[in-house]
Amino acid sequence: MAKWLGVAARSIWPPLVTAVVVVATWEAVCRLFEVPAYMIPAPSRIWMAFITNPESLLFNAGVTLFEAVTGFLIGSILGAMLGTAFAYSRLLARGMMPYIIAANTIPVVAIAPIIILWFGHGVQSKIAVTAFLSFFPLALNMMKGLQSYDRVIMDVFHVSAANEWQRFFKMRLPNALPYVFVGLKLNVTFSVIGAIVAEFVQADKGLGFVIMTTYRTLNMPRLWAAMLLSALIGIMFFALIALIERWAIPWHSSMRNDE
Amino acid sequence: MIHDVRDTPPNIGGASDPLVSFDRVSMIYGAETEQAVHALKDVDLHVDEGTFVSLIGPSGCGKSTLLRVLADLIVPSSGLVQVGGHPPEAARQSREIGFVFQDPALLEWRKILQNVALPLELQGISRAQREKEARRLISLVGLDGFENVRPSQLSGGMRQRAAIARALSTSPRVMLMDEPFGALDQITRDRMNMELVGIFETTGITVLFVTHSIREAVLLSDRVVVMSPRPGRIVRIFDVDLPRPRTLASRDSDAFAELVSLGTKELEEGYGDQIR
Repeated sequence: MAKWLGVAARSIWPPLVTAVVVVATWEAVCRLFEVPAYMIPAPSRIWMAFITNPESLLFNAGVTLFEAVTGFLIGSILGAMLGTAFAYSRLLARGMMPYIIAANTIPVVAIAPIIILWFGHGVQSKIAVTAFLSFFPLALNMMKGLQSYDRVIMDVFHVSAANEWQRFFKMRLPNALPYVFVGLKLNVTFSVIGAIVAEFVQADKGLGFVIMTTYRTLNMPRLWAAMLLSALIGIMFFALIALIERWAIPWHSSMRNDE
Repeated sequence: MIHDVRDTPPNIGGASDPLVSFDRVSMIYGAETEQAVHALKDVDLHVDEGTFVSLIGPSGCGKSTLLRVLADLIVPSSGLVQVGGHPPEAARQSREIGFVFQDPALLEWRKILQNVALPLELQGISRAQREKEARRLISLVGLDGFENVRPSQLSGGMRQRAAIARALSTSPRVMLMDEPFGALDQITRDRMNMELVGIFETTGITVLFVTHSIREAVLLSDRVVVMSPRPGRIVRIFDVDLPRPRTLASRDSDAFAELVSLGTKELEEGYGDQIR
């Protein structure tokens, strides 16, 4: 634990320096060339937009976060279940995979109105869109992970008279975890996109709603504040999953530090 | 000292019932296709309890297939295979078989202690009991102090030691080893050979050992089975009557040199068929 924090502390300052430089340059350019706020608002304007009414923005961010996390959980659980079924039944995988891939290529903006029609105007329809988006990455990665076990290790389990449950929980599932985290990290990104796009289509709260309404009134600093908050949600959510990954699969080669 | 399977009964050892027996065992891969491969043809082999038997021969002679049949990893096309009077399936279920593969095949996410204890865990032995046994075996194979290390942090030789300890954990009656030291350098291999000989001589376990090295086969074994490919069959079985306990110095005797050149001659005949 302490070691991770040390690593985190050491890896945090290079992006921090980048942020400071970018924000300073941005502010300077906006002031120097008097860039109109509706084109690119200066960081100070965005900050003002945020602190003049932080409760409203934070409330809407909370709504979006709730939709994203709930949809992520539902989509990931269903995706993991389907991926497991695919890993165990080649017939099922071969029969359904083309349609799964086809469904995955449907643009979310095209499917969101349909899902909202089905699930109503409330939060639940946003969760449904989010779950739809965060379903495929884990389904595919779960299947791949469960299938990619070492044949010799399977022989070891066979000689040791392991039953099917033991083969799954003590071998195939832990072996699949690195793939599972690849899927989960993709889902994090998709779930925030899903929630906001669904709010674009129809909503009375959430960051997507704020972005749409501020766009109509050309309140660009507030729009930028909402956009940055949505990015912040995505980053924090992603960092949480990455932290869980570090804890869950410290043995995996991707987790070794370069030092 | 030499049995020619063509004119003497194949029951090497003799007296009581053998622990392992193959009777007219054949294995054909892809029987219905044009490229049917006769991996084993009418193999007879009987191994008494407490003997160390090496199987040697060129690639494709069926030596690995023989072990896989015994471990119930594959089912032979025909013939009778028994371990302690039971079919391989029953022997496997009652955990009488330990298998060491060329690849250590350790679980990367488990520390060495939990890797060695794996077969006991699968058997449902309590944590305290299985870890006690695993610690004893880790010590037996010379891995003291590495209990809480992950496999990726160990050298190839150390990983293979852990695999041997794991195979020994259920106290099997037969230990099957498929070129376990094939990927190791010569010095490590010598050391591993001596440790294996030590384990064999102190535990009295029965070992079937597949190797490409005639010197390794002679150094370790009581009997060496020479096999030949296309179809996979036994061409010669010879006894190794070097005194035990064996040491690396056992290789310096004239008797050792004689057995090695005898075995090499037999092997060359097998390869000869292949080249022509």
